[in-house]
Amino acid sequence: LLADKIRILAPRELLTLRATGGRCFTAGQETESKNGAPQDVVFISESCVKRLQQILEKDEFLRVQVEGGGCSGFQYKFTLDKTIEADDSVFEQDGVCLVVDSDSLEYLKGGTVDYSEELIRSSFQVIHNPRAEHGCSCGSSFSIKL
Amino acid sequence: RDRRLRVPVRAALLLTSSAVQRIKNLLEHRPECVGLKVGVRTRGCSGLSYVIEYATEKGKFDEEVNQDGVRVFIDQKAQLTLLGTEMDFIETKLSSEFVFNNPNIKGTCGCGESFTL
Repeated sequence: LLADKIRILAPRELLTLRATGGRCFTAGQETESKNGAPQDVVFISESCVKRLQQILEKDEFLRVQVEGGGCSGFQYKFTLDKTIEADDSVFEQDGVCLVVDSDSLEYLKGGTVDYSEELIRSSFQVIHNPRAEHGCSCGSSFSIKL
Repeated sequence: RDRRLRVPVRAALLLTSSAVQRIKNLLEHRPECVGLKVGVRTRGCSGLSYVIEYATEKGKFDEEVNQDGVRVFIDQKAQLTLLGTEMDFIETKLSSEFVFNNPNIKGTCGCGESFTL
């Protein structure tokens, strides 16, 4: 059900879209159902979409990577990028694109990328990651469920 | 005539211009608040982390820092920890956050949010 709503675009498909000057497909709203969530999908929260719409330039997208490091073993890294590699998965919602490479996707699938706004700090975060056991208080570092 | 009045007192917390601007912006939307309150909590993997909240009044034991028309209150428990700290506000496309350049700390967590004294 969710898989129908959120389209995973193959890199080539997206490049073709760009070549023809077309925009990415508009996916449906994120559904909050957690049971039976399809594999290999990363969700984008509403606040994240809103923030990305503000900051992204033309052809730019948010890349999320998982790296070794941080106090809990792994940490998320967010960058703005313009090049799509061969092993990337592209998730699109309301005109903004999120790109995750295949290695990072293993540790991210089923999670939601969110833009959290607090008094002390506003930043991109990954929330509800089913693969993460427990994290550091900052939310940037986590360990994997075995 | 009292000489003691002339002794310069260093502010417990120094605000950068970007921090001042950010606090002004924040408080514009909160007319009932007179300033921000900075404290520390025992939290995070390095032991302590900073907490910022809106303040509607100055607490009894709070230290007040008044700089460029902005009022920041320091929680009693955080006063020693924060002494001489510079409070900065760093804004990038990916994140915007208050950063504390604290000369008293010995180490931080990888994310920079929590620290040890």
